[in-house]
Amino acid sequence: MIGFIGLSHLGLNYSLATAAHGFDVVAFDPDAALAARCAGGDFPIEEPGFRELFAAHRARLRYTADPATLAACDLVFYALDIRTNEHNESDTGPLTELIERTAPALAAGATVVLLSQVSPGYTRALAARLAARPDVRVGAFYYQVETLIFGAAVQRAMEPERYIVGAANPAAPVPAPFAAWHAAFKCPVLVMRYESAELAKVAINFFLVSSVSTTNTLAEVCEAIGADWTEIVPALRLDRRIGPHAYLKPGLGIAGGNLERDLVTVRNLAARHGTDDRVVAAWQANSLYRRDWVLRRVQRELLARVRDPLVAVWGVAYKQDTHSIKNSPAVELLRALPGVRFRAHDPAARLPESGFTHVTTVADPLPALDGAEALLVMTPWRVYGGIAPADIAARLRGRLVIDPHAALDEKACRAAGLAYHRLGC
Amino acid sequence: MLTHRNASPVPPGRVVILGANGFIPRALAARLRADQVAWVALGSAQLDLTAPGAGPRLGALLQPGDSVVMAAALTPDRGRDPATLMKNLRMAESVALALAAQPVAHLVYLSSDAVYDWRHPLVSEATPPTPTDLYSTMHLAREQVLGTAAAAARVPFCVLRPCAVYGPGDTHNGYGPNRFARSALADGKIRLFGGGEEMRDHVWIDDVAAVIALALAHGSTGHLNVVSGRSASFAEVAAQISALAPRSVTLEFLPRAGPVTHRHFDPTALLRAFPAHRPTALATGLPRLLGPA
Repeated sequence: MIGFIGLSHLGLNYSLATAAHGFDVVAFDPDAALAARCAGGDFPIEEPGFRELFAAHRARLRYTADPATLAACDLVFYALDIRTNEHNESDTGPLTELIERTAPALAAGATVVLLSQVSPGYTRALAARLAARPDVRVGAFYYQVETLIFGAAVQRAMEPERYIVGAANPAAPVPAPFAAWHAAFKCPVLVMRYESAELAKVAINFFLVSSVSTTNTLAEVCEAIGADWTEIVPALRLDRRIGPHAYLKPGLGIAGGNLERDLVTVRNLAARHGTDDRVVAAWQANSLYRRDWVLRRVQRELLARVRDPLVAVWGVAYKQDTHSIKNSPAVELLRALPGVRFRAHDPAARLPESGFTHVTTVADPLPALDGAEALLVMTPWRVYGGIAPADIAARLRGRLVIDPHAALDEKACRAAGLAYHRLGC
Repeated sequence: MLTHRNASPVPPGRVVILGANGFIPRALAARLRADQVAWVALGSAQLDLTAPGAGPRLGALLQPGDSVVMAAALTPDRGRDPATLMKNLRMAESVALALAAQPVAHLVYLSSDAVYDWRHPLVSEATPPTPTDLYSTMHLAREQVLGTAAAAARVPFCVLRPCAVYGPGDTHNGYGPNRFARSALADGKIRLFGGGEEMRDHVWIDDVAAVIALALAHGSTGHLNVVSGRSASFAEVAAQISALAPRSVTLEFLPRAGPVTHRHFDPTALLRAFPAHRPTALATGLPRLLGPA
């Protein structure tokens, strides 16, 4: 029996993937209402493929708020997502409290694995604290890097590229239950010291950020000099030093919270240890600058020309296939223009309760266009790409379409008489 | 970045403009007049802020509900030497003493984009001020002097940093649209350094007055660059002025004294602070500059 503690995005996806690989799973959360909701198939997350996978494997999953059920598990994962505040700083308080509270309920000798996104140094300190407690009898304590992606979490949980494991003693073999779990996923397992594994997670995100920032910087140059970034991308993908899967799609800065959190983490580490973090500061500044690309474009192309326009917005999530609006450029845009009338649609995400009285939300994307002077496609949901630009042109009062992520067919938009704008060109 | 104390604009009480005879103060007065806001402008003839005792005298003139716009300064054409710096600092000291004697409702300081290092090609409010000469040092020091005095007197404080301002009635004749227009009209020549490649943001004078008026009406605090958000090269500006001038204009290219530097501004903070503000494009402002006053 394998246990998962913490039914947030991370725990829900990993527990389901574990059940789908043939293990019996106890998925625990102290929130009884949440556990009951999940047991009924009503989950607080939106991930492609999740519901189908749950339907196929629900017999092996038991969602519960009873900590006594964890005593039957010889392998337990702590998988509570770490929230970040408005400064993108991690708050590990709820995780620590959860571990301190539930660890006594775990079986003697159980292998414990921390999956949550913690800062370097956290795991060793925690393991030492638990080892000193007479009421906690668990066995080996590990940290394992999670690399889920919002919108692709199920696929990545089911088919991991590799596992990165932090251990107190990397030379010692991992306990049998943990090794069996790894073996089921058939991917390389890299065992290293705690701090290396914790920093490996940060390192992965840093390379993503560097690619995103480089892409965004050069995409803006493209816009200024008449180049087209989409013409350059294939050349980069064929370069072995960059690769076919590199993050080369221009975007509206870094959003979602996880990458921003790691930037803050490293800046804090750099401040404490006196290492050079100027490139990190530059990435942060560039991200904020790129976030407002649509704001600048809307001001130039619309607000400077049309008085009191109605503006249609498609998408408020920070990216497609997620309900998350953490650091969403769409939300920031709406917040920045309180005097402009917006009509917004998103298939999954919802705006915050307060501060958006100037925004009307609609259930379908096309009615959002009626009478609007412009369409802003802020999140490239697949459903938007399926809407014919001719239909957009027919319902939109104005001609302006700002589609930073190129969710729509550019040629068809221009053919429909729309004034089309995207990133990188 | 600005924070508004008034989410919706509220007409200020009396506005006291320090520096009555300057380019921007005159435009601001016109704007306030149009907005039917009470104002009084104090020039050096009425109150010399560099004179001993100027602080208490100013304090005696101020009222608690006043909004003060500190725009008095000796500009670089009046001197870039230590003596000019010290005179400018004495003006700030006088205002600081006046605030201590009579706190007011709002203080707006008209600073300059000169506080930023010229080597920053893209400037935003997040760019650290790095003075590179006595003029820029003066503005940053005055921001600090006035900010400290305002905090001590609990007066909301706003710093506005305009980039190169152009428009009719400019008193400076600095290198750029104003000088180009004057020389084009006067002798049919525009003199450019090098090829005039340098990119600069030129903000229309009425836009500066409008942003000051908005900051007053919103009771804004913090700091903001007052810019157009669109840079053009001096050569482009010269070409547009040549095309607009009622006579034939010759471009003269002079040896460049220093390396080419470019400056652009990120206008995002301005857009966020005042979404309804619409900066005037050069294509709109230059015909007004050359047109009838």
